[in-house]
Amino acid sequence: MTHMAPATMSLLGDKTASKLSFFPESASSFSGESDWVFWFISIVCILFFIPISVALFGFAWKYKKGKGEKAESQIDHNTTLELVWSIGPSFLLVVMFYFGAANYLNHRSVPEGAYEIGVDAYKWGWGMNYGRGVIHPELHIVAGEPTKLTMTSKDVIHSLYIPAFRVKKDVVPGRYNYMWFKASGPSEKVKTDEECAQLAAKDKEENRSWDYDERQFTPDGYRFYDLYCAEYCGTNHSQMQTVVVVHETQAELDAWIKKYSTRGDEDPAAYGAKLYERRGCKSCHSLDGTRLVGPSYKGSFGTTRDLVGGGQVKVDENYVRESILNPKAKVAIQQGVAYQPVMPSYKGQLSDDDIYSLVEFIKSLGDASASSTPAAESQDTAAETPAEASSETAK
Amino acid sequence: MSAGSVPSGYEVNDPGYPIPQENYLTNSKGILSWAFTLDHKRIGMMYLVGVCSAFLLGGLLAIGIRLHLFAPDGILFNNGLFKWLAPDKAPNDIYNQVFTLHGAIMVFLFIIPSVPAALGNFLVPVMLGAKDVAFPRLNLSSFYLWVCGAVFFVMALLASGLDTGWTFYTPYSTTTDSSVILATTGAFVLGFSSIFTGLNFIVTINTMRPPGMTWFRMPLFLWATYSTSIIQVLATPVLGITLLLLIAERTMHIGIFDPEYNGDPVTFQHFFWFYSHPAVYIMILPAFGIISELISVHSHKRIFGYRFIAYSSIAIALLSFIVWGHHMFTSGMSPITTIIFSALTFSVSVPSAIKVFNWVATMYKGSISLTTPMVYAISFIFLFTIGGLTGLHLGTLATDLHLHDTYFVVAHFHYVMVGGTVVAFLGGVFHWWPKMVGKMYSELGGKISAAFVFFGFNLTFLPQFVLGSRGMPRRYATYDPEFAALHQMSTYGSLILGVGLFVALFVLLVSLFKGKKAPANPWGGATLEWNCTSPPPFYNFDRPPVVGDPYEFGNIEWDAESDRYVKVEPKRQIVPSEKPADSPAHASE
Repeated sequence: MTHMAPATMSLLGDKTASKLSFFPESASSFSGESDWVFWFISIVCILFFIPISVALFGFAWKYKKGKGEKAESQIDHNTTLELVWSIGPSFLLVVMFYFGAANYLNHRSVPEGAYEIGVDAYKWGWGMNYGRGVIHPELHIVAGEPTKLTMTSKDVIHSLYIPAFRVKKDVVPGRYNYMWFKASGPSEKVKTDEECAQLAAKDKEENRSWDYDERQFTPDGYRFYDLYCAEYCGTNHSQMQTVVVVHETQAELDAWIKKYSTRGDEDPAAYGAKLYERRGCKSCHSLDGTRLVGPSYKGSFGTTRDLVGGGQVKVDENYVRESILNPKAKVAIQQGVAYQPVMPSYKGQLSDDDIYSLVEFIKSLGDASASSTPAAESQDTAAETPAEASSETAK
Repeated sequence: MSAGSVPSGYEVNDPGYPIPQENYLTNSKGILSWAFTLDHKRIGMMYLVGVCSAFLLGGLLAIGIRLHLFAPDGILFNNGLFKWLAPDKAPNDIYNQVFTLHGAIMVFLFIIPSVPAALGNFLVPVMLGAKDVAFPRLNLSSFYLWVCGAVFFVMALLASGLDTGWTFYTPYSTTTDSSVILATTGAFVLGFSSIFTGLNFIVTINTMRPPGMTWFRMPLFLWATYSTSIIQVLATPVLGITLLLLIAERTMHIGIFDPEYNGDPVTFQHFFWFYSHPAVYIMILPAFGIISELISVHSHKRIFGYRFIAYSSIAIALLSFIVWGHHMFTSGMSPITTIIFSALTFSVSVPSAIKVFNWVATMYKGSISLTTPMVYAISFIFLFTIGGLTGLHLGTLATDLHLHDTYFVVAHFHYVMVGGTVVAFLGGVFHWWPKMVGKMYSELGGKISAAFVFFGFNLTFLPQFVLGSRGMPRRYATYDPEFAALHQMSTYGSLILGVGLFVALFVLLVSLFKGKKAPANPWGGATLEWNCTSPPPFYNFDRPPVVGDPYEFGNIEWDAESDRYVKVEPKRQIVPSEKPADSPAHASE
């Protein structure tokens, strides 16, 4: 527990001092209004709270008497006073309601010509759909332009929450919910593409993924706003986070979208590794053998798996493809414990080339069928490794 | 002691009044005499032990939550011990189960039955001067239903846990493989327990008020209990229907809540909150009743604005049925529905505010004894006011869009439920403890517990308002490092709060063995429960008590010699020589 001390200490530090403010950064056209209403209500509350507290503690002090002493007065009602304090505050409540409702209506009226982005929420990640087959977990928008999100969920209810924009809307399976906002200013680009590429290469060497919290900028070098899932959705609810990046111009956004549009002539396994990061695979499938919500990819290709409901299946191209498009068809059991059938289908979400790239990526993590050892034996080794790895973690 | 042997000139509060040889605790012995008792007081005591056990379990889970959240990546459930206990569960899963069970146990097993079933069972008949509730057998069955519901919850915990949150939102709850059916069956059974209690109190208060006790001469605790009972009887069946539909959806896929079978998951939220919002007032209204009694008795002054307080209880009970939508402002309801629910929500804040003003006004020019119950009552008013006022931020649409499902909500409802109901419950237990067990506790110990609870509670939950407004979503097993300092403050606070609660338990338990014998009226109360001995005899009153004004303190005098409050009106001559021989013994005890 000792390593926790610095976090408490850093209360005094410069970096976190600014983070002790009552609100996160104010970064959308709604946030100013929302904060204004918040402070208005707070001031009214304080104006009531202080006299109540003063009277409460003051009376307790002033009229504290010894046992048996009689009360100075037995007055038990004053209709005028009671009517005043019953009806009087109601006027303030009407004002609060009015400001709240008026601003809320702005949230609900999407302006014409807003830039549209589709949102697919799933356990436990986000897919922002920019059209032309570009689906990326980060939300990229243009400053000063209204953006409309059309959102649906593939499994359970999620909720898209951007604290810096003061907006939140549930993302419900089986229906589309909408929200819109206008970011006030562009995100700063703090690292050049070259620096980012170096960091990404270093991450790859060390076999770790991009740490937004530690670096405080995106793999493209931008500062960002946090985007959280605010509706409880299971195991990795608290990791169902992504970031919002605001571009200065539409052209800059288009350039960013283009960058992620196709594989081009990249090596399929390398592109598959990017899809693994980007499309939510990594929240449930580890690369180091650790058992997460789903089976680890490490050394899985070519092994044989036990299935829920009996039978076995060999992990080959067809099984991987089927598991991506129809995950509930063949659910694996590992060491007697079945995996939960929670993975959403990626049908229509990944192109054939994407799936091919993912297969190649999984193959690149160890291919048991390619080695000379018999399949059965390599399965044993594969089964042991996760056990060792997990007991390591437990220590 | 039978009524016949009571000396005729004595009031029960008089120093010379003989303490009966037997009371409800001693008139029969053995475990079976408790298990099959129809005595409302014994049932109340069994409920008290039961709900306090549930509170202990829920509280330990809460400490588990806070210890885990001490660091951004979590601490407690990352420990190897949990890997060994639950090999197939990730730390996040354990956290999710722990917060779910914390919520479910606290809501269904503790808060809802705490004041009405435990204190209410003991007090309602005694305050009415009656021998028992209207339906004693129904009363006992409601206790066993509670036990049965508790068993279901423990089974769910032991089977495969529960990870849906206490709200059971679909389609998560229809697809998770944890023990949803066991837990919802438990909640269903507990619902019936709650309905039976409510029904019993409605009939009891309607039909068993003694001659002279009109509606507006009833103690305000009874008004609060009556309002609560109305909600219990009218709202709880909807919970039962909802949970049955949920079970049917899980087992038969009837397609009402699960979009996979063309159901609508938001429908579940409407059903659920149609019960669960009124349930919030099942939890807080009885606490209001306790505070009305405590403030008045310990200020030795008539309650201010009796009628406004009484009517506001009924108003809250009725308004509570039409504000459920404010739990769903972000769910995608139509704008007009959302705005109507926001407006209605503001209306419910008015009667709550009236009560606060009236309590403070009651203290004005009173003769305030800062006893343990009074200290709890004062901290209730302070904490509940914060809880109530922060509700305005959540009822206002523009700010709710930001604050909904963040720690701001967590802090808000803990201020109402813990700072409000639990503190009032503790105050009530300390207030009526002498009556319930016949022993006085250490005043110093009681006040120390109140101080720890007050300080620890604020340290736990004030930082959570800031966490929420800064955007920390609730139900997170891990969090961004920037929130760490506030989470750590909150964890320290929770430990102090825990110490305070244990001190309270310790003080009460010690009093059972070392406490001074309690007089009939230790605080100078004017309601009827102070007109029977402490603890009351099996039939509560040796003679039917004379019904007076429940808040008339003019004829109650402190008698320093015998260390108790006595009634001085009507003037009677107390002749010392008539005192029974055993009276000096109990006076010196």
